Amino acid sequence: MSERILVIDDEKAARMSFILALKDTGFEVDTAESGEKGLQMKNDAEYDLIFLDLKMPGMNGIETLRQIRKTDKKVPIYIFTAFHKEFLDELKIAQKEMLSFEVLKKPIGADLIVTLTKLILGQPEEAEEASYV
Amino acid sequence: MYEFRLYIIGRTPKSIDVIEELVRLLEDALDGYYHLDIIDIIDNPALAEKDEILATPALKKVSPEPARTIVGDLSDAETVLLALGLTALREEAEK
Repeated sequence: MSERILVIDDEKAARMSFILALKDTGFEVDTAESGEKGLQMKNDAEYDLIFLDLKMPGMNGIETLRQIRKTDKKVPIYIFTAFHKEFLDELKIAQKEMLSFEVLKKPIGADLIVTLTKLILGQPEEAEEASYV
Repeated sequence: MYEFRLYIIGRTPKSIDVIEELVRLLEDALDGYYHLDIIDIIDNPALAEKDEILATPALKKVSPEPARTIVGDLSDAETVLLALGLTALREEAEK
């Protein structure tokens, strides 16, 4: 059975970038346009990996992370955001609450989406794929 | 002397596991001939930008050249060593 990935981002272009990048990888990719929708989808299905936007109207990334972690402490969650201090500072809230997550820099290219996804899900084709100069 | 920077997102139980695994791996491969800096991206985004870090956890081999960065699962020793070009060193250390 294919691994399932959930992408939660209010921007359609961002959701499409993941769909397009991963379309030939064999992974199943679902998307949600809001934190609320993403949480609902997570509650309805099992996912192996979640990509989560930090800045969203309504339920933002931190709150979505908090809610997901109430019922699933293990699923890898990558929060994607610009690596600017003002955005990263928001992640301190999640740190203080000991919520488990990693970060992914925005914007991100298709190649890295594929490479990172394969690595997280334990499928690097070659060790060289794990690294970049 | 090999120099590495490990980029993490906070000192969580998971990142502590990553650090411990990595130290074990580097000790085996390099027999103590390395320096490892642990960088929390939240505290030092400027250095992460300079090092072109794109995701966490990420391990950058700063020196000797060529610089290389590995991202994602750092628990697989073979993958880490191969990606950073350190396999030959470990083989030498095992002799």
